[in-house]
Amino acid sequence: MKIMEDVSVVSQEKVAFQTHLLRLSAGRISREARLGQFLMVQVRDGTDPLLRRPFSFHRIDAEQGVVEILYRVVGRGTWWLSQCDSGARLRIIGPLGNGFQLPQCGPAPVVAVAGGIGIAPMMQLLEKLAQWLAPSGKTREIHLFYGARTAEEFIPGKAFDTLGITVHWSTDDGSRGHEGFVTRLLEDTMRREKIKPCVVYSCGPLAMQYHVARWALENGVPSQLSLESLMACGLGACLGCALPAVNPAAPQEEHYLHVCKDGPVFKAEMIQWHKIQTHPATPPIFLFS
Amino acid sequence: MAQNSNAPGDTPDLSVQLGPLRLRNPVMVASGTFGYGEEYEDFLDLERLGAIVVKGISLRPRPGNPPPRIVETAAGMINAIGLENVGVDVFLKSKLPHLQRLQVPVVVNIFGNTLEEYAQLAAKLDGVPGIAALEINISCPNVKEGGMVFGTDPLMAARVVQVVRRATALPLITKLTPNVTRIGDIARATVDAGSDMLSCINTVAAMAVDIFSRRPKLANVMGGLSGPAIKPIALRCTLEVLREVHCPVIGIGGIATPTDALEFLVLGARAVQVGTANFVNPSVTTEIIEGMERFLRVEKIARLEDCIGTLDTQCLFPFAEIACELTDLP
Repeated sequence: MKIMEDVSVVSQEKVAFQTHLLRLSAGRISREARLGQFLMVQVRDGTDPLLRRPFSFHRIDAEQGVVEILYRVVGRGTWWLSQCDSGARLRIIGPLGNGFQLPQCGPAPVVAVAGGIGIAPMMQLLEKLAQWLAPSGKTREIHLFYGARTAEEFIPGKAFDTLGITVHWSTDDGSRGHEGFVTRLLEDTMRREKIKPCVVYSCGPLAMQYHVARWALENGVPSQLSLESLMACGLGACLGCALPAVNPAAPQEEHYLHVCKDGPVFKAEMIQWHKIQTHPATPPIFLFS
Repeated sequence: MAQNSNAPGDTPDLSVQLGPLRLRNPVMVASGTFGYGEEYEDFLDLERLGAIVVKGISLRPRPGNPPPRIVETAAGMINAIGLENVGVDVFLKSKLPHLQRLQVPVVVNIFGNTLEEYAQLAAKLDGVPGIAALEINISCPNVKEGGMVFGTDPLMAARVVQVVRRATALPLITKLTPNVTRIGDIARATVDAGSDMLSCINTVAAMAVDIFSRRPKLANVMGGLSGPAIKPIALRCTLEVLREVHCPVIGIGGIATPTDALEFLVLGARAVQVGTANFVNPSVTTEIIEGMERFLRVEKIARLEDCIGTLDTQCLFPFAEIACELTDLP
């Protein structure tokens, strides 16, 4: 069931470059939410910005009645959100979308790819997988490929150390780990170490997702890609968050799936990647002008 | 407005007569902003609505436009969805039955590429139980063929209404576009051609530009602006239409609060449709209905009907007379 809930901000802290962690006291939604689902947040009252903003759940704690979102300030909506202090009231709608599934095969190896703020829905999933694999001693066979433009965009690494998983770092500028795109690091590592994963989870910019999808399809790896789109309602009504998709019944025909109700988690083979439009990121200096 | 000394506990009467339809209140939901109703059932009791207008239906399914399809603008959004819909057959088989079980009037918004398609569509829906009226979409700015082409020319608009009128006995609402020089001309033409009611406005043709990619922000380049930004345009269009024709008019455009809705009723609209606001707050229609009730209580008006068409354009300067006396001017 989808719920509209008035919640209060428990805390907000800056955890990396332009990256904030927001804890919300959301008893009802936390009980219904699953990993990989998302919520819509009205960042302030009034008509500017007009629309809610979609965020994946970073952490769901049904016992405490708390949900967390991890987000990067990329525009006016997220800037207003970053100004909320403890005790502030927000109206949120959730849980929305389909969420991640645990691997059907396996239990290992498992690959996760996170690009920039794409780490947000991955952390709790990785914890769950690590718990799941701990009895068989295969936690090291969880490979996280974590890429960013520069090292200061990474969230603190402590979280990964305690999990006991294998983390492969990459940055565009070489300030930490491999210099270059995280998808290149993924391909090279998998080929070199002859790893055949039973699933790949991925979240990041569409340009990155395209390369993850291509790699997964070429290597026959089942994939669960958390994709993004601009969206107005999150409920399947506005039809704004369409992605070009493959219609299994008629592959030649134009067909669309919607991130909010068919996703946000898709299999690579569902999307017509050659028709995806990607926009370059807006330079931060222009965000508020 | 007729004053009435109703007791504080009395529930004001929100019901309105809209042509042949009796609505429990004037708050409808606009086509394309409410899916087929089921998308909103977790957030409100659909039976509280005045009426539901479903997403525009065409004879055959349509995939819609490539993304990006939407962009947010100041107090509004531009969309170029491209009338994505399941087609009339799937609508009748899998979407309508659920709505038929509810006690709420269902208005089906129809759209065709040709006059023939409009006629076939209307014929298919004629006599189907649970359909209260048809809303003829001649005003979508986002499709090349048909759409606004029909809605910007009085003769073309009239021809669409004529063929639909011949194909069905259902009450007809024609949805008008603001993207014309004289909306009153289109209103007159469609009413003369047999439209029982009018709804106005559809979205305002618009676009947005990305300075970094030097590309339009919508794949379709242009789209339709909706949201609070267009309310003043919608009010002006509604007044122009009301001055031209005498049929019931449904006001649409940027309605997000009870005040917004009441403004259209004061002008003379007999009902309103809430659109983009449903995206922001899925239970906004319930809040608008409750707000209207509060307004009637505060103003001590027993029936909402008594507010309709009470706009006073004569007495804009209540102090003018006194001022004239004071300064001894003629």
